[in-house]
Amino acid sequence: MRYIILLTWALFCLAPVLWFLSIGFRPRTEIITPQPIYFPTFSLDAWQMIWHDWPMASYLRNSVLAIIGSVVIDLVLAIPAAYSLARYSYRGRDDIGFYILSTRMMAPAIVAIPIFFLFRNLGLLDTVWALMLVFAAVNLSLVTWIIRSYMLDLPHEIEDAARTDGASDLSILVLIIIPVCAPGIITASVIAAIFAINEFFFTLLIASTQNSYTLSVALANFTGGSDGIIYNAIALVAFLAFAPVFLLVLAIQHHLSRGLTMGAVKG
Amino acid sequence: MNQSAISGNRVRRRPLWRRKLFPYLLVAPAVIYLMAITLYPGVYAIYQSLFFVRFNEWTFVGLENYRELFADADFWASLWNTFVIGGIALTIEFVVALSLAVLCYRDKFIRGWRIIFLVPMLFMPSAVSYIWKLAFNDGRVISDLLTRLGLIDARLDFLGNVDLARLSLIVTDVWQWTPFLFIIFVGALQGQDAEIEEAARLDGASWWSLFWNISLPIMRPIIAVALILRAIDITTMFASVFIITGGTPGGTTETISYFIYRMGFKTFNFGYASAASFVVLVATIIIAQLFVKRFFHSGKD
Repeated sequence: MRYIILLTWALFCLAPVLWFLSIGFRPRTEIITPQPIYFPTFSLDAWQMIWHDWPMASYLRNSVLAIIGSVVIDLVLAIPAAYSLARYSYRGRDDIGFYILSTRMMAPAIVAIPIFFLFRNLGLLDTVWALMLVFAAVNLSLVTWIIRSYMLDLPHEIEDAARTDGASDLSILVLIIIPVCAPGIITASVIAAIFAINEFFFTLLIASTQNSYTLSVALANFTGGSDGIIYNAIALVAFLAFAPVFLLVLAIQHHLSRGLTMGAVKG
Repeated sequence: MNQSAISGNRVRRRPLWRRKLFPYLLVAPAVIYLMAITLYPGVYAIYQSLFFVRFNEWTFVGLENYRELFADADFWASLWNTFVIGGIALTIEFVVALSLAVLCYRDKFIRGWRIIFLVPMLFMPSAVSYIWKLAFNDGRVISDLLTRLGLIDARLDFLGNVDLARLSLIVTDVWQWTPFLFIIFVGALQGQDAEIEEAARLDGASWWSLFWNISLPIMRPIIAVALILRAIDITTMFASVFIITGGTPGGTTETISYFIYRMGFKTFNFGYASAASFVVLVATIIIAQLFVKRFFHSGKD
């Protein structure tokens, strides 16, 4: 009984994925038909199409640049912040921590219009730099909180010992704390990268032309005028983005529940 | 400070104010960055909401945008839609995820394969929206499968009917994000003490009483955190609305995010959209202060 329930859900998870994969490798004519076709003819039309009809290389480059750039910005800002929140006690600390957390709750739509005008005035609209800055802001709260949670676990003796040896606070952070917290930092980076790949709303507003499309938004423009939506190309790009995400998640599997709850689960 | 003091014991001799300032300096860059991207837009939205904006021409209208907004049936409808669609989706996701987690968390075999349960979560939301747009609508797969099972006679029009349009958004969300709750719950259940469980089982406790009396109380703060995070993301639901329904039929699937987007970037009524943003922002802050603060404090340490 247990296995039947689990198997049913596994099927519900996988069947749409396999079917969508089959969409990616079938000709256009077999996608939107009066009767759905479950066993299509194999075709690489869409594969040719995504590389020839669209600047796929530029979409990929934009995605990679925006993601890596945003994660780097996040780490530079979040590691010191997390260290401060986890290892010091001072007035206002909890309020500062909560403020950082609360930005995670902000709906993108609330800040969308001012941010649109901000980047327009800075002349950054439709650039990958703007995407980088926005993705970093979106993920900063969760990166900070995840790393903070890992830093909270460390015993205080670590710093005390180093301090009696005369190490400065900054060198303690760089030489001792960061290496010990590497799993937390990696988990936070992976989750931030995934969220950046997924980001849709801001990218839609900021990337007004193909110049700065990422994969996530490029999908929504795979329409061929009167041809309608080009599903087989969409499917292939979906799997193109899925593959690295899948590998990253496999690598951090055991830290995933902790990362996704921003440190609340110590699983 | 002289040379010998620096080379001697730097930490001890450093002036008190500098030591007190240090943690603030560490956290400051992150806070300033976030303020630039949240506080500045907040102030900007309040200011802009007092104007009627047409291209680069701003006309001061006072609170007119707010008066209009509170009388706008579309605005209230979008809040209601967000609540209905999000509420149903979140309930289903919670029940399914918790049940699956309880069924498999001590099972070594399934634990090895649990990545399968995570697969939907690993696709981009825009891609997932197209999967279900094709399945429900353009490709008519769901209709076809239901017909084959003998459940319906004619093709269903998933965009033409209020309930069916909402259902397609709910299914899309449930499919993609149940794994999010599932993996968190599995992590929480695995984290609990296996020995206590074993002892209770030897005492003859049924799995239900084990779950109800031991697991659930331990998990309560984690459940709260997980549901809060999921609820935040559901209320900001956008990609699936944008791609699958576009708010049809008759605006009944328009969420609050889509409403603000439509007002700002389709009708270019920026002042009005800013007024709506500000109202939602105030609501968010109130909710955050009331609920989130409490649960995240109990969730730490």
